[in-house]
Amino acid sequence: MSTILKIAWRSIWRNWRRTLISMSAVGVGLFLVVVYSGVLAGVLGDAKDQLDNVGMGHVEITAAGWRVRRGVSQSISSPDALLARLHLPPGSETGWRVVTRGLVSSARGSEGVELQGVAWTRERGLSTYVREVRIGQHPSADDDRGILIGERLADRLKVKVGSKVRVMAQRADGEIGAELYRVRGIFHSLSPAISRHRVMVGETSARRLLGIGDVAHQIVIQLDRAGDADGVAARLRSELGGGYEVLSYGDLLPALRNIERLADLFVWVAALFIYGLVGLGILNTLLMSVLERTREFGVLRAVGTRPGRVVAQVLGESFWIATLSGALGLAAGLALTWYGAQHAILTIGGGEALEYGGAILRSGVKTRFSLTQALRATSLVYVMALVTALYPAWKVARLPPARALHSS
Amino acid sequence: MAVIEAIGVSKDYLERGQVTTRALRGVSLTVEGGEFMAIAGPSGSGKTTLLNVIGALDTVTSGSIRVEGREIGGLSQRELSDLRRDRLGFVFQAYNLVPVLTAAENAEYVMELQGRPAAVRRRRVAELFEAMGMRQLLDTRPLKMSGGQQQRVAVARAIASEPALIVADEPTANLDQATGRSLVELMRLLNRQRGTTFVLSSHDPMVLEQVDRVVRLVDGTVQSDERRATPVA
Repeated sequence: MSTILKIAWRSIWRNWRRTLISMSAVGVGLFLVVVYSGVLAGVLGDAKDQLDNVGMGHVEITAAGWRVRRGVSQSISSPDALLARLHLPPGSETGWRVVTRGLVSSARGSEGVELQGVAWTRERGLSTYVREVRIGQHPSADDDRGILIGERLADRLKVKVGSKVRVMAQRADGEIGAELYRVRGIFHSLSPAISRHRVMVGETSARRLLGIGDVAHQIVIQLDRAGDADGVAARLRSELGGGYEVLSYGDLLPALRNIERLADLFVWVAALFIYGLVGLGILNTLLMSVLERTREFGVLRAVGTRPGRVVAQVLGESFWIATLSGALGLAAGLALTWYGAQHAILTIGGGEALEYGGAILRSGVKTRFSLTQALRATSLVYVMALVTALYPAWKVARLPPARALHSS
Repeated sequence: MAVIEAIGVSKDYLERGQVTTRALRGVSLTVEGGEFMAIAGPSGSGKTTLLNVIGALDTVTSGSIRVEGREIGGLSQRELSDLRRDRLGFVFQAYNLVPVLTAAENAEYVMELQGRPAAVRRRRVAELFEAMGMRQLLDTRPLKMSGGQQQRVAVARAIASEPALIVADEPTANLDQATGRSLVELMRLLNRQRGTTFVLSSHDPMVLEQVDRVVRLVDGTVQSDERRATPVA
């Protein structure tokens, strides 16, 4: 260990109470930043993860104008061929859907629904509730008469697996089409609206019902990293040109984007506030410590210590305070964040989940454990500690040795 | 060769809100290599100020100071630090050891600044402490030592780097008579054995009896310069 760090290490323990108080302030500050950003990352990450619980893609492509009118004829031709020519990031899950509004009836009642015609294998990669059907199973690829419905809808129609339902929808030619289906599975969605208003059949069956050919209304892309959605959407927009509408989940759910922006702002403001307090704490401790030892620094200067080395020694003391308190704050913050990632440590609202502007937030909030984020927060503690130590260091280093030696 | 040449040195202090105090008034003084001398005078006569300016710890208001023929008036803070590190040693009235370092680490400190290897520093300090009868203090921190022991360690720190001149400001003022005498004898011995130049400030008759030359200051001017012996060659 260099003499500078050795003297610095021993110096911080001269007034151990003051050092411990200062370290506690820094450590608690870092702990709060790590946990706070972990909680917010958890909430937002969870909301993004829940996109496939509402069947929403990170990026969606539709025919221009379809989202306004939802006309059966406003479709994308040969969706598989279109997808094949798109340049998507590795790890992306893709699929397409035939989508229309319709009416589903059982012997006990009728409900207005959104009918989706899907390729089941692809859809498993896009929708959690298709992957994890709660009762029964989703229809097989060659099952033209099978239907998957939400549990709330099943409850309202008083149907169960094996029951028959009739689906009616307006065809492309303007006539009303109708098909009989048998319920193969009942799914659960965190979104009450989807659980009550969505039914799914095979794409071939949906096309026959609507009297359309090899078309789809919606191309859905789930990316490996949700954060890339805006960039991918922008690139696809320029690749596809006019005639298509390409939206990221942020465009589809402005509320989620707003929450993200707000959360970023909160983290920054909180971090600024906490690091400000940390800086003031260190500044106070070092200033007191250095001013108490002005004579000692005068001796060091007198025997030939250069001003730069005096600065380095004060920075060394700040380094040790930041290291010890940073290690403690980081360890405590990571421990709680890790625990919170396994078990929900906060509850927002009641029930299973909250729906806000189309985004689904689980009531039980789990933190998101990110070592990189935590280390970034710790490195900011170092920066803050070293920057705030510059003032006391400069103050003592510029004193003429003769005056420093005769300070009381 | 003259280790120190002070030519017409004056030093004024201007404290905020107070009148200017003239601590030195045109002092001229030459210190030859190997001298063992004292600057004497009553409190406020300018002894410490003179030691500060010849030790490159403070600047002069007018006049000039040369250390081994080198004018120090225009040197930067960094150059002055290097000059003190390499050519000057200091012993202070209040011992002024670094309390978080052991006696050996204090004595090694200046050599470490000079960039000497750790093994060389340790050997040199061990030899020095042995010669000064302080071997048992090597790993002791200053707060566990008596005033006399601390001052002897301060002398070891000053001499370890083999400077051209050691400046000692009232080195015996905080010590009892016997300890003070022993310390001056130690410095005298080092002067004779190693030829190290010592400039002490004191108004203690015991100290003044043992030096070869006494320069008396009164009100910032040299009143007398009494030489009793020639410097050690």
